[in-house]
Amino acid sequence: MSDLVIRFTRRQRLEHVLVMTTFTLLAITGFPQKFYDASWAHATVALFGGVDRLRLVHRVCGVLFAALAILHVALVSFEVATGRSRPSLVPTRRDFADAMQTLRYYLGLADRQAPFDRFDYRQKFEYWGLLLGGVVMIATGFILLYPLAALQLLPGELVPASKVAHSNEGLMAFLVVITWHIYNAHLSPDVFPFDTSIFTGRISRERMAHEHPLELERIAAAQPPPANHEPALAEKGDSPLLQ
Amino acid sequence: MRVCLRRSRRTATPDRGLRLPRAPRLVLPVLILFFILPFARAASAQTEAREEIDTCLTCHADESLTITFGDGTTQSLAVDGSSFAGSVHGETLRCTDCHAGMGDVPHPERTFKNRAEFRAAFRDACRSCHVETYTQSLDGVHDRLLAKGDARAPACADCHGAHDIGKAGRPRAAISRTCARCHESISAAYATSVHGRSLLDAGNPDVPVCTDCHHAHDIADPRATSWLLRTPELCGRCHTNAPLMAKYGLSPNVLSTYLADFHGASASLSAGSGTEPEKGRVTALCIDCHGVHNVMRVTDPDSPVLKANLQRTCARCHPGAPASMPAAWLSHYEPSWQKAPVVYSVKVAYAVLIPFIIGGLVLQILLHLWRLVVNR
Repeated sequence: MSDLVIRFTRRQRLEHVLVMTTFTLLAITGFPQKFYDASWAHATVALFGGVDRLRLVHRVCGVLFAALAILHVALVSFEVATGRSRPSLVPTRRDFADAMQTLRYYLGLADRQAPFDRFDYRQKFEYWGLLLGGVVMIATGFILLYPLAALQLLPGELVPASKVAHSNEGLMAFLVVITWHIYNAHLSPDVFPFDTSIFTGRISRERMAHEHPLELERIAAAQPPPANHEPALAEKGDSPLLQ
Repeated sequence: MRVCLRRSRRTATPDRGLRLPRAPRLVLPVLILFFILPFARAASAQTEAREEIDTCLTCHADESLTITFGDGTTQSLAVDGSSFAGSVHGETLRCTDCHAGMGDVPHPERTFKNRAEFRAAFRDACRSCHVETYTQSLDGVHDRLLAKGDARAPACADCHGAHDIGKAGRPRAAISRTCARCHESISAAYATSVHGRSLLDAGNPDVPVCTDCHHAHDIADPRATSWLLRTPELCGRCHTNAPLMAKYGLSPNVLSTYLADFHGASASLSAGSGTEPEKGRVTALCIDCHGVHNVMRVTDPDSPVLKANLQRTCARCHPGAPASMPAAWLSHYEPSWQKAPVVYSVKVAYAVLIPFIIGGLVLQILLHLWRLVVNR
């Protein structure tokens, strides 16, 4: 039996790399605009050769990020609608129970933490946080990019409101990533120093048993253990929201 | 032991060395002379200066005395003795203090290409006492033109006067009149502005004159981007002064609210990073909406920032600005329930949401770590 299980498809891995890159560039080019009087902000602007070029990079990355988000939602909706994948990232009542169980476990009120399926409640929280936060960022970002067009349709006050929302939502997303995501993917003793599964697409069977036992069970039930040492799952049909 | 010995030695040599000598009879006259001499010398120096000035004026009081420059233009060399006597230098300087080398008559021959060269030559005379302002003026636009030989560019004497120099900057209204000699149209615009009217009509000392913004000596090129980007700071010097603004019922928050907006942040980033805007035009600065020398009261019916005129003002940079565009600008108000309820709500929502979410996540991380430690 193989020690590795396939967890992410090539497309999902590519999506992660692209989101990671655009997100980082958006943060680097966005924060100087929020903290306009800080010396590091001025140094960053100088590095880009001026505020116009900094904004150009920000806007290009923003449009790319928006395209990625739209493509992602379209593809996943299509796959779920045609039954090619399970809506495995949709929050359920069970996630709430899992969160409570985990909290009780942390506080010493339960013996073990809840057994998770393909995505645990924390991963779902982060996924929907990114997706819904992304919707806010994309909508307000386009209002700020095309204020004159936006003003043809919207009341004037929505432009400064969009600026406040864009700036704060961006800060919140950044803080979530540097605390929650960096902890769960790098610093947590469970994965330290680096959870490589989103880059290689593979995860050890041991970690699956520890972190996603319900999914491992489903895989085992669906496919009797293969004779060879090939990975247990085909990449085909494994999609982001799903499996 | 040694300490004791020293002490005893000191006490062993008593009063003899300290005894004062008997005061000689000469001391008093010497002292008197010592105090009087400087005054006497000053008086004699003044007499000498007076004589020198009178000697020079025997020729230079003549109105027809002129010098002809290389380019054919002429310059009067006549001096009004009484106006010099009344000037700031009248009691302290003699002619040759500034006109070095002119002590001999007939004077050594000197030639100047034009008036600019003649004027520039006299700056060195001022430098020997006014080093600081001289050095500052080397960075100024006027000096740069003077160095290029521009005959219109002013040197020290053109603004301050030559023999009739008064106290600099007094009265304040005189400053704008001095600049007006060359910068006529700008000075006329200033005279109609809220600042200019207040100074020229009411003698109000609170309002800025030309040199408050442009400086007197190190005058920067006002068309340079680096200068333009300083305008928020320049206007802010007075317009963030809360007691001063309260006197006129104005908000001291105009700079902070400007900087918090898109235009202000752009200006701050461009100025702070020392980079030039790519498209050749700086973002909207104070002066782009309010006007520069002709800046008006914001309640003036002609003010470009009056709500009724604002759409047109926006359209200067944003062609086709829709009627709702002025509403997208919070008019230098901090968002509040009264002034911008939507913006304020969004602000408050995030002020609650961000600490709540991040605090919750950090708490969960700490609980997880605690559990791992306990499990060990």
